[in-house]
Amino acid sequence: MVGNKAAATACKLARVQVASAFPITPQTTITQYLSEMHANAEWDFDFVNVEGELSSQVVVQGASRIGARTFTCTSGPGLLYMHHPMQTTGSGRLPVVMAVVHRSYKGMQPDHSDLMSQEWTGWGHWYVEHAQEVLDSILMAYKVAEDPRIRIPIAVGYDGYVLSYTAEPVEIPDQALVDEWLPPNKPIPEVLPDKVNKATFGRGFGGEADPQVPWKVHHDAILKIEEVHQEVMDSFEKTFGRRYGNAMIEPYMMDDVDVAIIAMGTIAGTCKAAVEKMQKEGKKVGLIKLRSYIPFPVKDFQEWSKKLDAIAVVDRSICPGKGGPVYQRLRETLYDMKKRPLTLQFHAGLGGKEVRVRDFELIGDKTLKAVKSKKVEEPVTWV
Amino acid sequence: MIEIRLHGRGGQGAVTASRILATAAYEEGQYSQAIPMYGTERRGAPLTAFVRIDNQRVRERMLVHEPDISIVLDPLIAKQQGVVESLKAGGIVLLNTAMAPEEVKLGGDFKVATVDATTIALEVLGRPITNTAILGAFVKVTGALKLESIEKAIKKYFPGRLGDMNIAAVRRSYEEVKGPIQAVVKSGVQEKMDLNVGGYGVLKDVSSWRVFTPEVDVDKCISCKACWIFCPETAIQWDEAKKKPYIEYNKCKGCGVCANECPVKAIEMVRVEV
Repeated sequence: MVGNKAAATACKLARVQVASAFPITPQTTITQYLSEMHANAEWDFDFVNVEGELSSQVVVQGASRIGARTFTCTSGPGLLYMHHPMQTTGSGRLPVVMAVVHRSYKGMQPDHSDLMSQEWTGWGHWYVEHAQEVLDSILMAYKVAEDPRIRIPIAVGYDGYVLSYTAEPVEIPDQALVDEWLPPNKPIPEVLPDKVNKATFGRGFGGEADPQVPWKVHHDAILKIEEVHQEVMDSFEKTFGRRYGNAMIEPYMMDDVDVAIIAMGTIAGTCKAAVEKMQKEGKKVGLIKLRSYIPFPVKDFQEWSKKLDAIAVVDRSICPGKGGPVYQRLRETLYDMKKRPLTLQFHAGLGGKEVRVRDFELIGDKTLKAVKSKKVEEPVTWV
Repeated sequence: MIEIRLHGRGGQGAVTASRILATAAYEEGQYSQAIPMYGTERRGAPLTAFVRIDNQRVRERMLVHEPDISIVLDPLIAKQQGVVESLKAGGIVLLNTAMAPEEVKLGGDFKVATVDATTIALEVLGRPITNTAILGAFVKVTGALKLESIEKAIKKYFPGRLGDMNIAAVRRSYEEVKGPIQAVVKSGVQEKMDLNVGGYGVLKDVSSWRVFTPEVDVDKCISCKACWIFCPETAIQWDEAKKKPYIEYNKCKGCGVCANECPVKAIEMVRVEV
């Protein structure tokens, strides 16, 4: 099945109760599959047609507030249009799960600029590689988001076209197993409309309350995702037999290497093939696939940095005038380390530009060269 | 790993063909991946799709740049040297054409096989959708997959009678394919034709997209302008003096919308032989 079918199938397995979305390429077929499933009454849920992404986010917000398990999805400019209500979903501690099928702002092909630009909205941000991971991650996202320690919405991002429309084998877990592993969402009383607890609800402050509290509560809850996500990955493996690294990162062929390439999404798959090829040629280059950008796996990278001479960060997005978000986040993570590996920034796949195995070989070679000469001559490269 | 590239036109079913191949491989216990090259494709526009088949999960997520096998669903595209570009040495190109492999002008170090999939599709399915009609030939020529797995996959995509008709087309192309033989020509002539066209208005001449050509019977025409309104390519022009339509054939891609809309059936679609 294609990536978008995997997303719709995950909704069915999770027994989503309310879904609402506005079609936009390359997300469109998710709404199409969900509509078909609704028409065929494949399970009991409401699909709410709306006139735009802003409304779709508000619909799932309302439904989530009264305890429904909810799903929405969008792409590129649609996500931008959703920006305002996304903030409220985060502030409201509503465990909405959203699939973001990446589409560039400059053109229709994929890059990560859409979801990256939403990093301030107070959501968990995950990036996945293939159709199986789309299905598995959406299931895990519900388990994490609805955990009473978390109650934070999660966006699962995957590349448009090359994943959303690419057909590949996907193992569909048994419904009974999913039902047992993922019990129905239990709303916590603190966020029900009539029992709003000001410490968590995030709005309507006044009087003597400290207006910074909702920000701190929100921030702390997102940081807690790391621990819960790892627990959920363990229980997912125990139940379904698949796992993706330690949930935050997925190291690939990282034994005895000098250099790690950090990549996210579909290009991490291509990088796996490149790393295999390079290691066969005796080049000590491995891959750390970054799965969770928010929260960022600070501890993991600090540990890995002790074993590495250099890290090459492949950013499939850029904040114009500022730079690649993963590269900058990684460098601030490493600042406190006594021994810091060299870091190199690569921009690849922006605007949907294809990233090939040979591009990763070039990235590996350039980083190995920096290791050899012990300095980074050209910190930023546009592949 | 086997890498396959498919060339076709919007509406011939190259994307479906790629998915049938990937599903058939999965039926045989292999991993596979079918990548369409999506842009703003439309009916008739040249396009490409890709398939990878491997015994482990396919990690590469990029287009196929050096295919082992090239499959061409369209007889006119089959004349373009581009369809064998970067084909691996000793690879196979399978063409939908009425020509025998010996007559093919494509040049290089590869094997050529041909099958007249358009005729098979028209006779068996009644429509020039050549995607399934070429898959039987693919099985015979490459031996990469079994006929029964292709048929199983087709039943998944086309249940019921439609599936049976498509399977009949597959079996006929399995019988009728010619070749493969080593390419007769050593180096082919590079023609300039974009094999993947996205977007509207990028080509001035789309006449090569036609399988059928509309012909207007002006005596039957009642000057209602329905064809003029509905033509998606503005190929139908209006002769104000005679109050009759005429067709600018370089703009016409042969979609048949005009013939379908005409209330008095004054437009007939005639097959173009290539």
